[in-house]
Amino acid sequence: MTQVAVKIDRLAKQLGPNKVLRGISLEAHAGEIFGLLGPNGAGKTTTLRIISTLLAPDAGSVEVLGFDTRVAPQEVRRRVGVVTAEIGVYPRLSAQENIGYFGALSGLDDGKLQARVNAVIQRLDMGDFARQRAESLSSGQKQKVAIARAIVHDPPVLMFDEPTSNLDVLASREIREFMVESRARGKCVIFSTHVLHDAERLCDRVTIIHQGRVVASGSTAEVRGPYQDLEGSFLALVEAPAR
Amino acid sequence: MSGVAIVLRKELLEIFRDRRTLVAIALATLATPLVLFVISQVSTRSATATYTIGYSGQIPTGLDTLFAATGMRLEQVDDPAAAAKQQVDIGLEFTDSNVQEFYDPTRQSAQIADVRVQEVVRRYDAAKIAATLQQKGIDPSVLNPLPLIKHPLSSPVRAAGNSFLSFFLPYILITMSLTGGLSAALDTSAGERERKTLESLLLTPVPRGQVLVGKILAVSAISLVAALVAIVSMLVALSQISFGVQAGSNFKVGLTPLAATVMVWLAVLLAGSFSSLTIALGTLARNFRQGQAYATPLYFITIFPASIVLFIPDFNPNLAYYLIPILNAVLVLRDAIIHNTVAWGALAVTSLSLILTGGVCFFAALRLFTREALLVRS
Repeated sequence: MTQVAVKIDRLAKQLGPNKVLRGISLEAHAGEIFGLLGPNGAGKTTTLRIISTLLAPDAGSVEVLGFDTRVAPQEVRRRVGVVTAEIGVYPRLSAQENIGYFGALSGLDDGKLQARVNAVIQRLDMGDFARQRAESLSSGQKQKVAIARAIVHDPPVLMFDEPTSNLDVLASREIREFMVESRARGKCVIFSTHVLHDAERLCDRVTIIHQGRVVASGSTAEVRGPYQDLEGSFLALVEAPAR
Repeated sequence: MSGVAIVLRKELLEIFRDRRTLVAIALATLATPLVLFVISQVSTRSATATYTIGYSGQIPTGLDTLFAATGMRLEQVDDPAAAAKQQVDIGLEFTDSNVQEFYDPTRQSAQIADVRVQEVVRRYDAAKIAATLQQKGIDPSVLNPLPLIKHPLSSPVRAAGNSFLSFFLPYILITMSLTGGLSAALDTSAGERERKTLESLLLTPVPRGQVLVGKILAVSAISLVAALVAIVSMLVALSQISFGVQAGSNFKVGLTPLAATVMVWLAVLLAGSFSSLTIALGTLARNFRQGQAYATPLYFITIFPASIVLFIPDFNPNLAYYLIPILNAVLVLRDAIIHNTVAWGALAVTSLSLILTGGVCFFAALRLFTREALLVRS
């Protein structure tokens, strides 16, 4: 059994009048791509934000590599890299400076920082535009900057929140390849998406959330069940309560 | 390197690459000397200009010579009252027993001509009386049994200059402390949300309080630089420009070391307070434009206190008034400029007040920056 990297137990969260999460539980392991699936508004982004300590849980608990998000939020953040759905970058900084800023904020000292930035630039094939101001980069290039800043401190847990939603086919493929590569390196990759086709191709295990509750969880094959693909299973699951 | 230093360094780098901030500082640096130059030219021209008197009747002998020597040109007209409305600067009607004067007080040229006419007529009267008394063998000094001899304790010219500075300098200091860093403050708060970098920033292990302090320090630094650059440029301009106060005299103005020291100290306190306040407002805003709307009322804060000094030059309130932020800075600075002294009690109360104001603004910004809604709202 691989190491449990993220453990969520009966997590509940209310934002304003909306009960976004109603007691979800799940586990994601090192060396796997874990799919967090569900329609828009299901609670996927809120779950990721709680894992990364941006939001505090109302009830339940979240642990990242043994660190409770409420007790040791900074330890958790050091071990997590998040590629958010919105790929905002600092326009007046170069791609390299953007990455270096987040590396420094993540605790890399001056000695290691430049080496790590260079390594990440090389790994993501960003050499051609690393010194360009971010304001002049394409969406795909900005997405690479967003990934680079999330992994510059080499976190064991990587979370991708709808990473391909604003990208063209080529850029999306690069993201998928990067996730597969990270899994091979032993990272725990949590992939939040509503694009089930991507999830089916990439994920080892998935959890489907609907209206703040887990409606299915297991290996991709288990969740697919008797249906032709995940989409069929997903539609059956989310429409079931309405019937 | 601490989180504060990392954020500070990055924010300063971005600020110095931001054309909006640099243009604002450059404009302030250039605008002040330009405005002062225009004022200097206008005042000098007013002081040395020749004004036209439209007159009717017979001018007493010798009075025309005095008018010519005082920069007044005589032009005969049929109706001095009608001419004084537009054709000439002032109208005089000489009768057998007196001189009727017609002028429009709404015209600046008429006001200056009126002052000159009064002076010329006074001198003419005095000379005629003295001549008449001497003809009759009487010493003219009999008309002035108790001569008053003035000994100003400071130069009236210098006093005029200080009065000028006591309004403009606090006004520029406060305005630039606010506007010099405003764009940077909104960019680093509302702008962070607008360009969608906020979430990634908050995901880093650096505590939010440290991130906020780094941002406030960066904005304070640029506010301080903007204020000091604007004031230095104003002082340099003043040292090069002469102002004609009245015909035949001019003055230059400057700042004593004491006043300069007080000014820098107040600039530091003001920059800190304004930075915290504008970042707090920017944190509330969804985008840069909304942040600007929130910050607009602050402009009035910069105008009212300086206006008090302009309209009530002798406003000498008790110590309690020095608790009012901004007004206290204006009053302390005024005293330092005009009297070249500092009432240490007033400065202490002012410093305490501004530090407390900055502290309250900082905690407001911290509270806004650390709440969950900061992210959820976006």
